[in-house]
Amino acid sequence: MGQKRLVDRALVGVSGVAFLVALGMVFFYAPREATMGEVQRIFYFHVASAWVGFFGFFVTFVGGIGYLATNHRRWDILAFSSAEVGLVYISMTLVTGMLWAKPVWGTYWTWEPRLTISAVQWLLYVAYVMLRGSVLSPEREARFAAVYGIAAFVTVPLSWFAIRWWRTIHPVIVSGEGMALTPKMIHTLLVSVAAFTLVYATLLRQRIALEHERDRLAALRLQDEATAS
Amino acid sequence: MIDVQGLTKSFGPRQALAGVDLRVAPGECVVLCGPNGAGKTTLLRILATLARPTSGTVRIAGLDPAQAGADVRQHIGFLSHRTLLYDDLTAEQNLAFYARMYAIPDASARIDGLLERVGLTARRHDLVRTYSRGMQQRLAVARAVLHRPPLVLLDEPYTGLDPLAADALTALLTDLTGEGCTLLLTSHNLQTDVTLNRRVVVLNRGRIVYDAPHPDAATFPALYRELVQEAGSKTQDARRETQDARRETQEARGKRQESANERVGESADHELRSTQHAAPLQNPKSEIRNPKFLCQVWAIVAKDIAAELHTREIFSAMFVFAVLALLIFSFALDLRGALAQAAAPGVLWATIAFAGTLGLSRSMVREQQTGGIEGLLLAPVDRAAIFFGKALGNLTLMLAVEVVLIPLAMVMFNVGLLRGGVLLTAMLGTLAYAAVGTLLAAIAVNTRAREVLLPVLLLPLLTPLLIAAVKATAALLEGATWAEIGGWGQILVVYNLIIIAVALLTFGYVIEE
Repeated sequence: MGQKRLVDRALVGVSGVAFLVALGMVFFYAPREATMGEVQRIFYFHVASAWVGFFGFFVTFVGGIGYLATNHRRWDILAFSSAEVGLVYISMTLVTGMLWAKPVWGTYWTWEPRLTISAVQWLLYVAYVMLRGSVLSPEREARFAAVYGIAAFVTVPLSWFAIRWWRTIHPVIVSGEGMALTPKMIHTLLVSVAAFTLVYATLLRQRIALEHERDRLAALRLQDEATAS
Repeated sequence: MIDVQGLTKSFGPRQALAGVDLRVAPGECVVLCGPNGAGKTTLLRILATLARPTSGTVRIAGLDPAQAGADVRQHIGFLSHRTLLYDDLTAEQNLAFYARMYAIPDASARIDGLLERVGLTARRHDLVRTYSRGMQQRLAVARAVLHRPPLVLLDEPYTGLDPLAADALTALLTDLTGEGCTLLLTSHNLQTDVTLNRRVVVLNRGRIVYDAPHPDAATFPALYRELVQEAGSKTQDARRETQDARRETQEARGKRQESANERVGESADHELRSTQHAAPLQNPKSEIRNPKFLCQVWAIVAKDIAAELHTREIFSAMFVFAVLALLIFSFALDLRGALAQAAAPGVLWATIAFAGTLGLSRSMVREQQTGGIEGLLLAPVDRAAIFFGKALGNLTLMLAVEVVLIPLAMVMFNVGLLRGGVLLTAMLGTLAYAAVGTLLAAIAVNTRAREVLLPVLLLPLLTPLLIAAVKATAALLEGATWAEIGGWGQILVVYNLIIIAVALLTFGYVIEE
């Protein structure tokens, strides 16, 4: 228990420092983009949160498979903790994208395919969370959520194909011809992604610990009820 | 016949069974008593293979349900709280459906005989929903013993029955025991069951606290109350009495075993052999055949179509809803002339998506209402057959609506939708929709917000499919051939393959408890 707490505190400390370093690099190290100006700096948060959000959903997918294969509660806790944290990050992606779009595209929202698919991903995991709140039996809740988490994730590649085949006005940062970024921009982006991933890991661990505490509390309550009756 | 050792079952932190040991000899009739929440239903559902134990071993006729589920299910008849009958089918159709599920060879004669025996021959062509509670319960007994199972599990079979119906049920159960059938039934009606001179087992808080062959009818109710009230603290007296009763039971079981063995012409210790040699109990009347996969799929589809033909409620609702959606889209978007033609593919697929959600939800609710899925799970049916059967039933319904909807949209939007490519797109899109919709409807139906939740779960998952279907339809209407729409057609095919694969792999987890 003591060692676990130590790891948790260390992770909180490291992710906090990494986040501060990333902030410093975004505002003081990365150069000003020539066409878009200062508003381009939101890109480091936008891309990092999108990456972590999708990674979070991948963890949910893996957790779902793990749960169905083993029936162990720890996989279920991992799956939905990751879905919740991933949902926060995808929400951040959507908000930062809209804030960036207003000065650059002249509108907060356009029905551009990649934006649409991000919104669809967001809706998928909102539905996942809603599903979890709507099933009475904890065992069924875990199984249903695992199945839905798997089905939701396997549609992701198809969404990406749809993007490729649909005309897009979204800037292509990563392509077969390499990144349209300067080396300093790449360094900043990588540090941002690392910092966001560390924060994700910290939040995930805290969320998992919270769920274990809930289980312990429920068991204690039952014990209490049994003693009282 | 039944051998349970150290059985536990937990639902999250709550333990429903806390180490149950129970042996029931062939031909024995056991009444399982206990207060609400004692774990009786959970125990029966585990024995019926409807639920999996958390730990412990279960053997039915020497077979392990986890290893030989389909074989075990052939040996079990289960009468649940719910009748597991389809309200929108007749008595005869219900029994014929289950006869197909169990591959009963002499189905027609068996159904005639059973209907005669439960006194429902005159009402055999009436829909089950027109039956009284007592008639439904009698038909449910017929369903439970249709495949001549050597073991019948009955969960509170007397609930909701008037005295006459209860007497009729008692007569049926007595006949079954007379034929050598093993019965395990749960009940709250202490006086009746005890006077029937049966072995009584009392379950409280997931543990067996009493087990005696023929408890005294006069004193048992008071003893039962004492056991139930004091079992939590496990008083010395109750424990001693239980131990005495168990000893008595062992002796009585030995005697009963001998008589059971005599009945089936066996001289050795039958119970011991049945649990040790993993051989299925030989029921002289049963002719077990392995049901064929495609026959089961077709039986499920035919059952859904027959139920729909009786009510026509899903088709009517979907069709009217689809027409309303077409009208609302045309008002809202002011669709006229070229604009109507350009918007036609999107409006058509949005309409199909909304109407489909309505139909899928109702179709699964119909299955759930009387425990139809449980009935299917009790039969030796492959879970994939249940998925294909339900998905094809839903596909049939959706295609039936589209047969009317597409020509209607053609007239309303003045576009040539009746082309090979467009119809192929409609077919592929609807197939994927039915597949993913069946999976998610099976999930949604078990939630508190079933009708509301289905579209929330389904529509985001359908997005790539709907985009591809709309784009493919639009391209085809502009004169492109199927080969020319390229990627959109591929997305439709790949989506079908991926979703059907996921649904096949996961559907069992969704429908099982």
